[in-house]
Amino acid sequence: MSMETPSGLFRFPITKLCMVSTGAVALSASVANYKYIFLARYEPFISDYKQYYRYFIFQLGCANETDVALVILLWYQFRNLERIMGSYKYISVLSLALVYTTLCLAGLNLLLNSLLPWKMLNSLCTGPLALILAMFHFYKEYTPQIYEFDILLTQPWTRRSNKKQHKWQLNDQFLVNALVIILLLNQGFSGIGCGFIGWLCGIFLDRGLFPGVDRWRLPFIERLLISTGFNDSNDAILDDADRYRDIDTDAAGGNGNEPLSLDDENANDEPARPLGVQFLDTFRR
Amino acid sequence: MEIDGNTLIFIIIILFLFFSSPGGDGVSSQYEFNQLQRLRNQWSTEYNEFQEMNYDSNFKNITGLKLAFQDIVDDPGVNATYPLPSKDYSHWSQDQKYLLLPNDVISHVKDHVWGTRNRESVDIYPPNITSTLLGHLELVNNNKYPRLPMPVEKFYDPPTEFSDVVPPAGDRYLDDDKPSYGEIHNVTFEKGEISVQVTHLDKVYNRFGSGERTYFNSQTDKWKLLNLRLDFSDKAEHEKHSLLTDAVYDVKNGRILAMTQSAKFHSLFAFPHYMNLQEDKENKKDFDSLKKLINEYWNASNFVDTLTMGNLQDWYDNAVYKCEYVAFFQLEPWNQYTPDQLKMIDEELNWPLGRPANLSLVPPVAFKSGLLYSPDCGLELKFGDVEGKRYEIQMRSIRTHLLFGIGLFVAQIYLLLCQMHHTNTPSSVSKISFYSFSMINLVDGSLATLYFIAASVLPELYLPLVTSSFTCFILASIFETRYLILVYASQFNERNVGILTLLRRNNESERENAPETGNTVIPDEASISGTLYGRFFFTLLSFTLLTLSSTSWPRKVRMVFEYITIFVLNSYWLPQIFRNAIKGTLPRRSRVRNEVLGVQRQNKMPLLWKFIIGTTIIRTLPVVYVFTYSSNVFRHHRDVRFVVILCLYLLFQIAILYSQDILGSRWFLPKLSIPEGYSYHKPMSAQELMEHGSSTNYTVDCAICMSEVPVYVEDVPETHKIDLQTYMTTPCGHIFHTNCLENWMSYKLQCPVCRSPLPPL
Repeated sequence: MSMETPSGLFRFPITKLCMVSTGAVALSASVANYKYIFLARYEPFISDYKQYYRYFIFQLGCANETDVALVILLWYQFRNLERIMGSYKYISVLSLALVYTTLCLAGLNLLLNSLLPWKMLNSLCTGPLALILAMFHFYKEYTPQIYEFDILLTQPWTRRSNKKQHKWQLNDQFLVNALVIILLLNQGFSGIGCGFIGWLCGIFLDRGLFPGVDRWRLPFIERLLISTGFNDSNDAILDDADRYRDIDTDAAGGNGNEPLSLDDENANDEPARPLGVQFLDTFRR
Repeated sequence: MEIDGNTLIFIIIILFLFFSSPGGDGVSSQYEFNQLQRLRNQWSTEYNEFQEMNYDSNFKNITGLKLAFQDIVDDPGVNATYPLPSKDYSHWSQDQKYLLLPNDVISHVKDHVWGTRNRESVDIYPPNITSTLLGHLELVNNNKYPRLPMPVEKFYDPPTEFSDVVPPAGDRYLDDDKPSYGEIHNVTFEKGEISVQVTHLDKVYNRFGSGERTYFNSQTDKWKLLNLRLDFSDKAEHEKHSLLTDAVYDVKNGRILAMTQSAKFHSLFAFPHYMNLQEDKENKKDFDSLKKLINEYWNASNFVDTLTMGNLQDWYDNAVYKCEYVAFFQLEPWNQYTPDQLKMIDEELNWPLGRPANLSLVPPVAFKSGLLYSPDCGLELKFGDVEGKRYEIQMRSIRTHLLFGIGLFVAQIYLLLCQMHHTNTPSSVSKISFYSFSMINLVDGSLATLYFIAASVLPELYLPLVTSSFTCFILASIFETRYLILVYASQFNERNVGILTLLRRNNESERENAPETGNTVIPDEASISGTLYGRFFFTLLSFTLLTLSSTSWPRKVRMVFEYITIFVLNSYWLPQIFRNAIKGTLPRRSRVRNEVLGVQRQNKMPLLWKFIIGTTIIRTLPVVYVFTYSSNVFRHHRDVRFVVILCLYLLFQIAILYSQDILGSRWFLPKLSIPEGYSYHKPMSAQELMEHGSSTNYTVDCAICMSEVPVYVEDVPETHKIDLQTYMTTPCGHIFHTNCLENWMSYKLQCPVCRSPLPPL
């Protein structure tokens, strides 16, 4: 096993799903001018308008563009988790964390605001901030640090030999840390509060206080993962099939008398360049 | 480029010309400066007189308001020069002795327009009425009332000579020297259509070029200043009138008073008196608060200092070319809402947050009744039931339509990709009609351009419009044009070949011209794509310009153009039918039989049925919507018959395509007219074979796999056991294994040896 996670999203279906859906939901909401449905505030949405649905969807879409960018980057960094857990467990844990963070945040928001006289935690964050923080705990817990490096900051333009040096020690995870911090600060106090609760949810999940990490698996998803060819064993079968087909066509080419099998018309006549390459070639050549 | 002294001077001169264009107030000469000074003086004096005016005093020396209707009844030749000797300037009452309006019109306004309100209960009117209202209007009369003379100050006239510095003094009457304006200054139709575009004027700029605008109105619960754009024309749009007016909206009573402003009518100062055209006790209070509104507007906008040459010219044009109008409207009340609910609706429309405002039930803004009167042209027009949705609600509905349109584009892209996957060899691509896809491509391309232009016009819908434009552009200029390039390339060797020859698929006639066709150079994809993209953008641009300009044509011409264009652009399957007949595919039954026998022939139908049906539906849906749904967002008229005919026409095209699929694509051509096509599988003569360097056992080397091809030779009986289907002979006389050449032909329709074009399978 190599130390670095391979770059790209090959065989990271859940990471890809998360990244694409984060961008797609935000984009379509903004084209349709429906971004506001992801805002969740006790006052006035819950107290006056009784729009409880906002509690269930506020984590699904980001209302501001910086968050979209940060969240997409973080999903990409978290692909380590998918590698460790496997796609099926990863999506199950994700769904579980989503449910727990949503319940915690919505419940706290409802309780605090309806029981206490002053408005604490009036607005919840938009976007999957809490979910990201829950996953951040898992990331920190299960991803080993690979390397670290020092940044030496020396005062310039001085001739003295005993220069004052600041030493700044960073490791390979500093990018993730920095992104998480920006994401937390990006929405002000509500972001920090919700992030903290999300992070606690992550810890509780991991320690078993919130049950389900080991046993809960999403139904029906496994079949979907297999049918789209992300499962390893399935890939092997596909590869074999390819190989056999190659042999078949070779044999057919050998003695021209033999008619080709029926559905081989497409297989044989496939142009050398796939469609995508053809499009690019239109502009390149 | 080398920069020497001359170039530098040239650049500096260009820059000087570029930057020395008149900025700010637009003054570019001494004459214009004086003109503008005179204009400012005029407005300032009139404003000072307006300040001295009160509820009981008449207008004095204010442009356009110097005469009242009674004056011209008494003396038709009266001159509008202040002061008139017999005129009473110190009193005011609501009749034709003091107003520009005749008594009939005044009483009509009092009784039927503004007097129709419910006196007992208090009505509630929407505070924000930004919208575009549509309805019908009727001419009451155009010759009953005498025309009030309204002079234009002579300083408005453009200079007659270059040396002119000081504009002439005095004023002139338009009817005196320019009688030819009679036609524009009259409304001749009995019934017409009107559209009223209402926008609120809440904020004003207070100096040139300043980006920020300030609120000025301190009585928003009582009065609102509006800008109205009134367009009315007869049904056939032969006679169009378009007015821009300022207006005051009485929020408490739902009354709107609009008056045009020009060089001959300074209506801004007339609002306080004319708004009081009703029998109410609070007249004096209303007068004062309206005067306050006008003052606030005057001061906040810095009216005199921000006058520009543009204003001057516009007012001059309006004075010369248009009649002045006074318009009275009464709004339909929204009594089903409380003021709090109205506030919530307004906030939700301004800043959507998902408040429970139930926007789908918001009623339209509607004028219960209205009257247009022109004092200087003596015209009276009336209308009722003019209504339209609130602007923001209209935008929301357009947005939904646009999103649906994006869905259609995406579906079209998907179908096109399926179709491209279906025809992935040059042989199958060559059966596609270039012109079918050109038509489809033209429509998509122009849609993309139109969307893009619309995006710059409608800033509220920028995002959905640009997304639509982008999707459409990708569809048109990448996917479809790419496909067109493939089709064009695969059909290139058919250029300069007659249709009959094509029907025969390269027969003897082709042979005779062999030296020419043999040397046809098939250009590579890059040069083809260059020409095609050039052609694509050119047709696209010209078609878009044509479409855009057609919107301003008279109704009849426009409709004829529209119907013909839609009809022509919807015959996109006809070229494909023609193409099918040329290429000739077998009936479905024999194709199935061939497949069962395992004979591999590339003779499937070129177009997927999924693609045909899907494309037709995607392209017809918008047309059906626009022509059958009477309250569609494009304000298009309803014409069900045309849609039915169009659908039948499309069904007819699809039916022919289907019959070609079932019966063979040439079933409607007489048998005699279809000669045999070129056959790749044919016996050779020994002599021919010798020319190709055959070995002694009558075999030839296949240039592709480098192994021997046994050939059926007519003269040699021992070769007659060889199956003709195992090898192929090209028109240029080269011999290959069937498999080898068919594989090659799915890449290129060129002979692998001599590069002469090959007839497709």
